[in-house]
Amino acid sequence: MVEREKTRTDDVPLDDKAKRMRDLLSSFYNPDHSSAPKPPSDYENLDAINSTSFDPDHYMNVLVQKSNLEGLLRRHVEMAAEIKNLDTDLQMLVYENYNKFISATDAIKWMKSNIVGMQADMEQLLDKIMSVQSRSDGVNTSLFEKREHIEKLHRTRNLLRKVQFIYDLPARLSKCIKSEAYADAVKFYIGAMPIFKAYGDSSFQDCKGASEEAIVTVVKNLQAKLFSDSESIQARAEAAVLLKQLDFPVHSLQAKLLEKLEQSLGDLQLKTVRIENILRESNDPSKQGKPFESIPSTGHEVSVHGFAEAIRAYRVIFPDSESQLIKLAQNLVIKHFEMIKQCVKRRISSANFLGALRTIWTDVLLMDEVLSEASLADFSLEAGQVTVKKYVASTFTYLLQDISDALLKVKVSPKEEAEEHALKLALEASKKAVLQGSMDLLLDFRQLLDDDLGLLVKLREFIVDWVQKGFQDFFRALDDRFLLLSGRKNPSSQDQGLSEGAPGEKVLVGIVLVLAQLSVFFEQTTIPRISEEIAASFSGDGARGYENEHAFASGEIRQIFRSAAEKLLHHYINMRTQRVSTLLRKRFTTPNWVKHKEPREVHMFVDLFVQELRAVQSEVKQILPVGLMRKHHRSDSNGSTNSSRSNALLDDRMTQKGRSQLLETHLAKLFKQKVEIFTKVESTQESVETTIVKLCLKSLQEFVRLKTFNRSGFQQIQLDVQFLRTILREIIEVEDAIDFLLDEVIVAASERCFDPVPLEPPILDKLVQVKLARSKEQSK
Amino acid sequence: MQGSSGIGYGLKYQGRCISDVRADTDHTSFITGTLSLREENEVHLIRLSSSGTELICEGLFSHPNEIWDLASCPFDQRIFSTVFSTGESYGAAIWQIPELYGQLNSPQLERVASLDAHVGKINCVLWCPSGRHDKLISIDDENIFLWTLDCSKKAAQVQSKQSSGLLHYLSGGAWDPHDINAVATTCESSVQFWDLRTMKKTNTIERAHIRNANYDMKKNHILVTAEDESGIHIWDLRKPKSPVRELPGHTHWTWAVTCNPEYDGLILSAGTDSTVNLWMAPTSAEDEATSESIAESATQQADPLLNSYSDYEDSVYGLAWSNREPWIFASLSYDGRVVVESVKPFLSRK
Repeated sequence: MVEREKTRTDDVPLDDKAKRMRDLLSSFYNPDHSSAPKPPSDYENLDAINSTSFDPDHYMNVLVQKSNLEGLLRRHVEMAAEIKNLDTDLQMLVYENYNKFISATDAIKWMKSNIVGMQADMEQLLDKIMSVQSRSDGVNTSLFEKREHIEKLHRTRNLLRKVQFIYDLPARLSKCIKSEAYADAVKFYIGAMPIFKAYGDSSFQDCKGASEEAIVTVVKNLQAKLFSDSESIQARAEAAVLLKQLDFPVHSLQAKLLEKLEQSLGDLQLKTVRIENILRESNDPSKQGKPFESIPSTGHEVSVHGFAEAIRAYRVIFPDSESQLIKLAQNLVIKHFEMIKQCVKRRISSANFLGALRTIWTDVLLMDEVLSEASLADFSLEAGQVTVKKYVASTFTYLLQDISDALLKVKVSPKEEAEEHALKLALEASKKAVLQGSMDLLLDFRQLLDDDLGLLVKLREFIVDWVQKGFQDFFRALDDRFLLLSGRKNPSSQDQGLSEGAPGEKVLVGIVLVLAQLSVFFEQTTIPRISEEIAASFSGDGARGYENEHAFASGEIRQIFRSAAEKLLHHYINMRTQRVSTLLRKRFTTPNWVKHKEPREVHMFVDLFVQELRAVQSEVKQILPVGLMRKHHRSDSNGSTNSSRSNALLDDRMTQKGRSQLLETHLAKLFKQKVEIFTKVESTQESVETTIVKLCLKSLQEFVRLKTFNRSGFQQIQLDVQFLRTILREIIEVEDAIDFLLDEVIVAASERCFDPVPLEPPILDKLVQVKLARSKEQSK
Repeated sequence: MQGSSGIGYGLKYQGRCISDVRADTDHTSFITGTLSLREENEVHLIRLSSSGTELICEGLFSHPNEIWDLASCPFDQRIFSTVFSTGESYGAAIWQIPELYGQLNSPQLERVASLDAHVGKINCVLWCPSGRHDKLISIDDENIFLWTLDCSKKAAQVQSKQSSGLLHYLSGGAWDPHDINAVATTCESSVQFWDLRTMKKTNTIERAHIRNANYDMKKNHILVTAEDESGIHIWDLRKPKSPVRELPGHTHWTWAVTCNPEYDGLILSAGTDSTVNLWMAPTSAEDEATSESIAESATQQADPLLNSYSDYEDSVYGLAWSNREPWIFASLSYDGRVVVESVKPFLSRK
């Protein structure tokens, strides 16, 4: 089928007639029809007529069945034409056949007549050939002997010449040695080698000895040449090749030479060490400048040059030694970077760091030229990446250290300094440390970025990344450090400080406040500035920029510090109130309140409380900004009238209480709805002070509620509170809430009293006045 | 939402303590007592109506003195203990609510037994949390007493007694629901753990100013403590050095903490800032090694504070989960207001 298909497609360009002709011809000359059997089912195909299995009846049936009259008629016409065509074709074929037959007969006739005369010529030729052969045999035999002789002579001569050569070899070799034509010498010697091998032990013993001696000299000279640096590389390479030809153990030589290279590498490193030393010295602020770049680096460069040359030579000499050389070169780079790493540990300025990097990079470029297979650039890029990363990280670590130092300094020093300003100084110092430090840091990193050193250019994006991430991590670490410093992370020590009330504790408490304020400063000033700076000069290059997960997320960091500031402030307040709580707890647990004696004076716990408050105030004043709350300054007259009015009110409430507790409670509720005691703390002097006072007063109330009082005990509380009310007015801004809490304390005491009869106002006033006078005296 | 869901009930006087009546399996009821130095004190038996919208006073009994502590018996709904004070001296007693109390005009409480071995200030009486058990513990300033109670004979006998040691003024305690022989007591500078069989200290957590402690009902070894200033701490008793987790607590003191009897990690705390806070602070026992860091990251991820109920007008001292309906709790503020709240809306969020 396929075949047929193919033929049909092939047929397309041929016209019908030519095709039929070809078919006919092929059927004539190739009568094997089986080779192309037509499938019997294919009757409708007209070509099937030509097949042997063609069934005319069936064909007719099919045709008649399938075609209409018109078709049949057309087919009839076609067929008639075809038959006619076939007839002419047949006629032509017969004619051509006949023609060829006639010409063939003619040819045969002509050949017959030609061959008849040839026999005689042939016989004559045979005779002549025979005679030629016999003569040539005669010549051959007559010349044979002479030729044999000549050949023999020739062989002898060759042999003699060889012998001559071998005898001459030592002399020739020495001549070669003299003229330093080692290549010839080696060639001669190698030429003679087979003979020496064959007869060396017998006939040519002397010769062999002499020439071997000479060759030893040659080898020695060659070795010397190989190792001498003054020889041209070409010459040394040749020497190596010659030595190899002489079957000299070149590997040992190679090893030796490598050793030498390594040694020179060691020298180089020694030199670099010196450079680093100088580098370190130049790091001293006193010797700041750039001496290290000019003098020592030139020396260094020269030596590196030498090393590079040596490597180049070595490569030429031992072409198959790349891997070792690569290792060597990489070693050099590694050592270099190690050195820098050491330096980075010691905190160096970015200029110095840059200088060191530059030195390395020039070295690397030099080496790269010589040994490009080592891909030293890539290699050092990797190493450089690590180093620069480390540098960035360590810089941040130092900054962190600086800041904590600035903070801790206060912790240590305040005893000598005026305590008044210690905290303020700490705050300012650490503010400066952070801002200045991070700006310097950015400047340093800019230097890294702006440098056109190939290494750094390639690392630029990474550096941007690292710097951003570095800041991110830095601030996180700072946050952690703050928590650590504030003692929040170290509850055990905190507790200790609390229970013992050690003098150092006080400073620590102040530090917490400093930290809180510092956090605010970070959030509001430092971080926006840094992120601005980063955006200006450290933004990633377009595509990387926003999809970069390491990007400095100032929002997040600010959030961290905002919450840290809050936490620290709360912590500060907590620590302060805890101290007061301890005070109050002692005050309330010790005496037997049910058997209290009549109050004679204000209890000293009030003094202690006030003292604590003053301490808070001094700390707060140093650190926190003045709040924007209402700022009417108290005047003494104002205060006293206020207090007396509230006194009257209180008395009212207490007499009521005696009668009906229910009514009292309801009244209290009415009052309380107006007063929100615990409002959100703001980071201002007033807010922090009042919060602490409120918390302490609330604690006082709670302690009072846990006790039961006799009349005198109640009166004592009344007196204490009254005094506290007066003195608080002198110290801080008294809010309604504080007034209310003071009232609440008295209410609580009256509730817990068997017999709540308050002190007479005159007596109360008198006792308070006495105490006030005394405390004023003391303060004077 | 805040406060609006609470169902209120007013006591006549101030009060400090409220307790869930655990033995009452048919109703959600609470028992509470007043704290009034000069007036006639009362014990209120309160029941949450079946619709859950009303608090009904089921019984009102007069109590001779002001009540500082009150605890319902876990196996008999009619029995409870109180710690009371005359102002000068303290006493503790087991009471029984009389049968047919509804029909009496002014029913009197029957005193089952007096725990009268104490000298100093009595802090609390603890019932064994694990069902029917005739042991009681009472804690005063200096001693722990283990009592054997015989209700039928109306007698309580001191089984053993242990002094807390010098300079340890006890303030309260908690009985381990997982170990019948373990009791934790709080004192000024630490939490101490006792083995009741030997009456010896087994462990201590050094921590100042712990006001209240409560065992996790579901998980062994977990103790929650409330401290005056520094909030709430969750401890794994196997690692008493540092807390597993820290919660900020209240603006002022955190007075009481209590773990939910059913839902893991659900903690209620009451504070003197007139709020009750609902916390979700699950502690998983597996990640002990890294618990601290995990806790830290967890606090950063989700605020453990589910809700703060602030509809109180005075400090809240009394706090109790209902055992029958563990999503309901009752709280008592100093002004004598009982508020029953459901925490369901916050549970569904989980």
